[in-house]
Amino acid sequence: MEDAQKKLENELSSFKNTQKEFQKAVATRQQLDAQLNENQIVKEELDRLPADRKVYKAIGPALIKTEIVEAKQNVTKRIDYINNEIKRSDDLIVSLEKKQDSHREALQRLQQQYQQAKMKAAMKA
Amino acid sequence: MSQMSPEPHMQQVDLTTLTMPQLTQLKQQLDQELALFQESLHSLKVAQGKFQNSGECLEKVTPAAEGKSILVPLTGSMYVPGRLANTKNVLIDIGTGYYAEQDIESARDYFKRKIAFVTEQMEKIQIIGLEKSKVRDTVAEVMELKMQPQSAHS
Repeated sequence: MEDAQKKLENELSSFKNTQKEFQKAVATRQQLDAQLNENQIVKEELDRLPADRKVYKAIGPALIKTEIVEAKQNVTKRIDYINNEIKRSDDLIVSLEKKQDSHREALQRLQQQYQQAKMKAAMKA
Repeated sequence: MSQMSPEPHMQQVDLTTLTMPQLTQLKQQLDQELALFQESLHSLKVAQGKFQNSGECLEKVTPAAEGKSILVPLTGSMYVPGRLANTKNVLIDIGTGYYAEQDIESARDYFKRKIAFVTEQMEKIQIIGLEKSKVRDTVAEVMELKMQPQSAHS
């Protein structure tokens, strides 16, 4: 019975770890989504501007003048990068989801075993 | 701000066939999603207020105001006197650290567009949130139904 309990506790803690990892991955994914959205909005805005408009980039507290073309390139590059990151984070989420499910199954099995062991012990007593 | 990705789990499932742990998990998930919607709605409202505020400020920047003295905030609590030198153009933060110079007319248009965009997003979220809370209520109902025979047995 103690053996079953130990196993159950071990499984539970690794399940909780996976759960934490999963939540972290989802949070990262949401953040990336927000970043992608923001960059897309900036790109739309830049696309609307006439080519002779002045555009500035904030570097720390200072505003530095940039060419629109350069700004557009920068934003496009960033969007590509974020898209790649999103793909990576999606893969991570899927694999963590699988891991979580298998932990959940194992947990259920161990719980049953533990209950059985407890019953047996109770019968003996 | 928050774009909704299509739900991959959206398929018809008879709720009564699910086990109690599955239902609990589903309800938890729905609760989390609803909380997220509330949060998004709140930040959208804040954003909407900011855009509205900026749009109103723009009304004060007219050619007649040129040369008028103003107090420029250096920090939240320190101001230096200044003079409005340019009333034709304003700098607008368009996100991710980029600022674009706009004339008053296009700046006004910018804020109008942003407010419309944010309002549209809010409406979308409200609709989805309403649907989700309906699903959540149904799940809660099924859970209650499942609880009843269990408690009757014991």
